[in-house]
Amino acid sequence: MPGTDPAAGLRSNADQLVTTRCFAEVVHPQARAQPAIDWQGVPSALPGMAGVARNLRGGSPALGWACDHGEPGASVGSRDPHQHRAVQVLAALGNTVRVLGGGARGAVGTVIGKHAYVLCDFEGAALERMAPGDPVVIEAVGQGLRLADHGDVQLRNCSPRLLAQLRWREAAGRLQFAVRGVVPPELMGAGLGMSSEWANCDVMLQDPALREAHRLHDLCIGDLVAMAEQDHRFGRGYRRGWAAIGVVVHALSPLPGHGVGVVTLATGPTARLGWWIDPGATIAAAATGVGAER
Amino acid sequence: MTGRAPRGRRPAPTNRDRLVATVVVGWVAPVQLQGDPYVVAADGTPFVAVGAGGICPTVRVGAPAGGWAAEQVEPAASLAHPDPDANAALLLHACVGNRVEVQGGGADGAVGVVTGSHEQFGAFRHLLVDFPAAVLEGITPEGRFAVRAIGCGLAVDGLPSVVCHHLSPELWDAWGPRQEEGRLVARAVATVPPELVGMGSGRWAALTSLAVQTSDAATLRRHRLDRLRIGDLVALRDWDARHAAGHRPGAVTIGVVATGTSRRAGQGCAVTVLLSCADGSLVAEPDPAANIAGMLGIGMPSGRAGAAPLTPTVSRPGSSPAGTG
Repeated sequence: MPGTDPAAGLRSNADQLVTTRCFAEVVHPQARAQPAIDWQGVPSALPGMAGVARNLRGGSPALGWACDHGEPGASVGSRDPHQHRAVQVLAALGNTVRVLGGGARGAVGTVIGKHAYVLCDFEGAALERMAPGDPVVIEAVGQGLRLADHGDVQLRNCSPRLLAQLRWREAAGRLQFAVRGVVPPELMGAGLGMSSEWANCDVMLQDPALREAHRLHDLCIGDLVAMAEQDHRFGRGYRRGWAAIGVVVHALSPLPGHGVGVVTLATGPTARLGWWIDPGATIAAAATGVGAER
Repeated sequence: MTGRAPRGRRPAPTNRDRLVATVVVGWVAPVQLQGDPYVVAADGTPFVAVGAGGICPTVRVGAPAGGWAAEQVEPAASLAHPDPDANAALLLHACVGNRVEVQGGGADGAVGVVTGSHEQFGAFRHLLVDFPAAVLEGITPEGRFAVRAIGCGLAVDGLPSVVCHHLSPELWDAWGPRQEEGRLVARAVATVPPELVGMGSGRWAALTSLAVQTSDAATLRRHRLDRLRIGDLVALRDWDARHAAGHRPGAVTIGVVATGTSRRAGQGCAVTVLLSCADGSLVAEPDPAANIAGMLGIGMPSGRAGAAPLTPTVSRPGSSPAGTG
């Protein structure tokens, strides 16, 4: 991320973390037997989850696509439910992922999100050659990461590599991060009540008027956002006086109660955790090294 | 049954004579332990979650929702069908207020009343049925429960934008929602602000429950939600649960508190949806007595078990039971 020197990054216990190599594969999309019903009451059958999205990537708009929970890049997971759970929980944003077979064998990408699957961005040329079934390996490291100087702010799903690239500052006793916008608590939807390490929490942004009112109308995949009145330490839920910082990881779902997915990176009391609005607050260029051409 | 609609006010007319009466069946839902005995509270405290599945004779509809040493305690009998699709249909057909007959086992022939439904995403869907305490003590696993289901498809005459779920004609009469100036006015104990609605978002209202988050005790007190009882009718402001549930400014959803509170982040009292409307044609009218235990003459209408009073562990005057789970 421009303007930040990784050498002056936040001090952490990164040297204590263990890297686990997790195998996974690109998952084939699955179709529902019946259409879903969108937020305006209209039956809807749209692509979005699993597979390879060739034109939806880190840096792409999160709104405006004809899709439902559009997952960027390659969606990877395991057919074995226990292995899939391990991949979901252990993968952190910023982790390196390598393609082990198929047309893009040898390509190197980056974990940029989690939803039903782990969402991996690759160069456009690699995505053009990838297909469902292709094996990959994720160098999973990040869960257990702690800040040395900000004990009240807890990290989730954040790799040391991504932490070093986040734009931050200290002001008024708070650790502040650069974000593109602030999500009010009434827009938090599906994903509440689930583990902080599992998938993400949807932000209900279907209504253009609500998007404009909260200045969340031009969010992109990879953008950092603050989530107000949320405590995401041990599962995601409402708590006054707390907040969470996260990353937009999938495009909008038109279904009620769903929306744009946000993976939690940090959470803490607002006396210790804050933010400032910065139009350039995205992990796309930094963490992925690639991202969509903007 | 003692219908308790306010005197002199007739419930709004409905299509009740066009409803199809069905029978669906379930059995006592097994108490299950998935993996470790501990779950983690929103504040990071590990605890043992007691309360879902099986039979609970000591907590019945009308009891405080909070204050129990339990997690989302399900009152009285929790039922399920072992086939997941049949179980979904059980929750779709069975309506709050429907009669349930025990067939076989230790409580053969006893009759109970549906009080709500509860979904824990990824774990279970349970139908909750109240029986007298003596019946609850006598139920044995082989007993089958036949729900005399009627209510699915209920609609209010002249108000097509108001959608009903899980709402039986029996409860309709006892609750007594009425038409006033082109709107449906329904009694509710409290109104929940939209930011407190948690798990259940995005799921079919006809098959799930919506959590009113209960881990932030100070916020519950501020909104006067700290003394909710199981069976209370509550309004969810700015929530549209006509099909899948989601936030929508101006919408109103009214449901019944089906379970006790939760200590887990994003979870809480499970609310079974009864009415939802997005265009302003549904209005909640405050009534501190709007609890289905009193309306239907079941459970513990005074908040205590009649035969065997039980004091909740931390529910004492001046405390905030709903937040301490």
